[in-house]
Amino acid sequence: MSAHDHAEGLPHQPETATLEGRNKILGFWIFLGAETVLFGTLFSAYLALRHNVMDGPHPSELFQLPMVFAATMILLTSSLTSVFAVQALHSHKKNAMVGWLLVTILLGLGFLGLEIYEFSEYVHEGHGFTTSAFSSAFYTLVGFHGAHVAFGILWIGLLILQIFKKDLTVVTAPKIYVSAIYWHFIDVVWVFIFTVVYLMGKVG
Amino acid sequence: MSAHAHEHKVKRYTGLMDWLTTVDHKKIGILYMIAGLFFFLIGGLEAILIRVQLMEPNNDFVSADTFNELITMHGTTMIFLAAMPLLFALMNAVIPLQIGARDVAFPFLNSLGFWTFFFGGLLLNLSWFASAVPDAGWTSYVPLASNTYSSGHGVDYYVIGLQIAGIGTLLGGINFMATIINMRAPGMSFMRMPMFTWAIFITSALIVFAFPVLTVGLVALMFDRLFEANFFEAGNGGNEVLWEHIFWVFGHPEVYILIMPAFGIISEIVSTFSRKRLFGYSSMVFATVLIAFLGFMVWAHHMFTVGLGPVANALFSIATMLIAVPTGVKIFNWLFTLWGGSIRFTTASLFAIGFIPTFVMGGVTGVMLASAPADFQYHDSYFVVAHFHYVIVGGLIFGIFAGLHYWWPKMFGRMLNEGLGKITFWTFFTGFHLTFFVQHFLGLLGMPRRVFTYLPNQGFDTMNMISTIGAFLMGIGTIAFLLNVFITWAKPRNAAADAWEDGRTLEWTIPSPPPEYNFKQTPLVRGYDAWWKEKMDGNKEMTPAEPVGPIHMPSPSIIPLVMSIGLFIAGYGFMYDNLIVGGVGLLITLGGMFFRSVFDDHGFHIEPEDQDKGVHA
Amino acid sequence: MSSNHSATGEQAKRHRTEGPKKHVVAFVMSLALTIIAFAAVAAGEINTTFTYIILVSMAILQVFVQMAFWMHMKDRGHLFPIIAIFAGVIIVFTMVIMALYWVWW
Repeated sequence: MSAHDHAEGLPHQPETATLEGRNKILGFWIFLGAETVLFGTLFSAYLALRHNVMDGPHPSELFQLPMVFAATMILLTSSLTSVFAVQALHSHKKNAMVGWLLVTILLGLGFLGLEIYEFSEYVHEGHGFTTSAFSSAFYTLVGFHGAHVAFGILWIGLLILQIFKKDLTVVTAPKIYVSAIYWHFIDVVWVFIFTVVYLMGKVG
Repeated sequence: MSAHAHEHKVKRYTGLMDWLTTVDHKKIGILYMIAGLFFFLIGGLEAILIRVQLMEPNNDFVSADTFNELITMHGTTMIFLAAMPLLFALMNAVIPLQIGARDVAFPFLNSLGFWTFFFGGLLLNLSWFASAVPDAGWTSYVPLASNTYSSGHGVDYYVIGLQIAGIGTLLGGINFMATIINMRAPGMSFMRMPMFTWAIFITSALIVFAFPVLTVGLVALMFDRLFEANFFEAGNGGNEVLWEHIFWVFGHPEVYILIMPAFGIISEIVSTFSRKRLFGYSSMVFATVLIAFLGFMVWAHHMFTVGLGPVANALFSIATMLIAVPTGVKIFNWLFTLWGGSIRFTTASLFAIGFIPTFVMGGVTGVMLASAPADFQYHDSYFVVAHFHYVIVGGLIFGIFAGLHYWWPKMFGRMLNEGLGKITFWTFFTGFHLTFFVQHFLGLLGMPRRVFTYLPNQGFDTMNMISTIGAFLMGIGTIAFLLNVFITWAKPRNAAADAWEDGRTLEWTIPSPPPEYNFKQTPLVRGYDAWWKEKMDGNKEMTPAEPVGPIHMPSPSIIPLVMSIGLFIAGYGFMYDNLIVGGVGLLITLGGMFFRSVFDDHGFHIEPEDQDKGVHA
Repeated sequence: MSSNHSATGEQAKRHRTEGPKKHVVAFVMSLALTIIAFAAVAAGEINTTFTYIILVSMAILQVFVQMAFWMHMKDRGHLFPIIAIFAGVIIVFTMVIMALYWVWW
């Protein structure tokens, strides 16, 4: 893994240098449009069912603001580090890019760990997946987001390995760029989850 | 640095392996067509059985349970497994050619989309052999589709089969949007795109935004059924109306996904065989976009009788009636295109011309149904059945037949027989109207849909008999088409590049069937109806936009097939509560993704001296 | 389609001189908006409707900031990404209305 500079061979924005790269980025944005609707549907199911807690705990008793706040901060920071990775990509600093990607992954793992801990706490308090319509909708919405985080971690991890093997090229650059866009999107979804699910749930 | 600097050895397959590994949009189009026709025959057979059961009062040809299974599988199969793939067949066969591209934006995803659709459809239809057939209707309304009332595996087949097939459709939608945005030939601005390309662009957008809703709905239903979640379990706070909403937020755009491509096909054919420029091109484009937008805002007109209240019913009533305006614009544009044209009555143009009045009839009953108070009378009666068969069969299936006859020489290099084609048209057209026209009156007389039999002397008997006779005529029309296909198969491949001699768009500038790289040189587009414009300027071919050079091609790959088989296995595993099998299936699919990501596809080049060899796809 | 090759020299230079500053600013803004939202709930003394309004507007603002800067949607050549996301948002909006008013509980 030599740290030589590619500036002379690689165009400034290597992710859009080839038609394949531009296709990949455009296609991914369209996919994110679909993801918007996917999460929107999960949100609307949650909104429709949020009051139906049956015998389980009410959201205002259940949610712990400090834990949610910590999770939010972790994910927000990881979004910043992934944008730094893209900046490093644009100035062809491979090692810096890999470094920022690693930080992003670690933060993502932290978020995921916190979420697993949170879920196990909830189950302990009698808020299981099958408790009520509210709990099913809650776990499905937040769980879908968690699954996206987990997939993102695996994906970015795989890309880091590829960068070591294949170097930063016009083939690998679009992959990095697209994974960064994906990671930001996950953070954007989380903004609505902490607002609509946790904070509004806390208010009542 | 460049990945293409040195040539990679790419294994090229022949025979069956070629078809299993192909990433060529033309071959994938043919695969979609074969699969679509196969499912169309299955769905058609189910329709015939339904009509035989309803032929006379108190019939016991099939039991009530079997009847429920037949109507469920007929609707689901026809919409998701016959109509959609036949549209994808035409999209794949035509769109890259119409925009002057060498392939779609994502050839690999294209293949993946086909195989996931195919294995999803296969899984759904294997339910017949597992004697656990979905029987809750194609809308699968809860609580009927919940564990309480459908305890077997039937609805599981519906949920998981559609989920897998839906992934394929979504991939196709993304692919075609990206293709049309990024891959157009130089000079082809958006407002120079052929109408079919516009229709597919908008259809793809509808797919991209509607299918995720179905995905979530099916996930929720699957969680309810397999993991005891409570989305739709009223006893635990679930909400059945939510399923209806989710289903129709997807379902209504879905019917526009079906009809928009037909609009595009009809526009191409009417214009070609009138030898006239399409009347009101820009208003056509605008109408298409407007229909797509409004299509998302009208879903609750399927739910007028649920009791959403007068405000919701009024809003959705008005929005629904609004759609009649852009649709009317389209109808008049087709009529004005025909007006004063020198019309050739080929089979394709017969289907297109037959489409116009038939679709208008479906549209008029649509506006009747859009009126919420009147809908309380029509709801769940044969009037609704007549309406949606007029728009789906009279619209979409006529469009597909028109498109298949029109583009057949381009896909296969052989012209379908016109005599047999006309027999197909007249039997199918007559059969269709016989079957469904009387159903309007059956509905108004009060015959409910989805009921397996009826008592004599209610005024239903004669019309049901007529309807069944019509269904058999449609069957004969379909058989005539299949005969035509087989007879044509034996003929030499001699179709000209511009097979109809009046072609207007880029697909008619290249050989029939096209070489695997489509365009030896990317054409330069100088106006709307690019090829017609060159012909009018006295040119024998398009002006090239690039010199002859090596052409880069993607490599064939078996991974899409493997990934789809993985999903198929996973689906079965989860359905029968075998998490190990389910996990193995998912691992196969994820492994495919891993391989695709890690091992880059460098493709290969076709050198100029090889480009004239093996011109056939 | 080659018009997308817009990384002209001038643009590249301008982009390259852009340090991490604007992204840090976006981060600080996101942070502030998040803290306002959490504080509004933690305070617990504001009436519910008003809290909802604060929460939703903070979320929308934050998402705008992140999409514009981090997802580069304010940059050139992002017409189709903007159309894709906003078309999705319109559909989500109708579904939220549905979930809040038309599910008949």
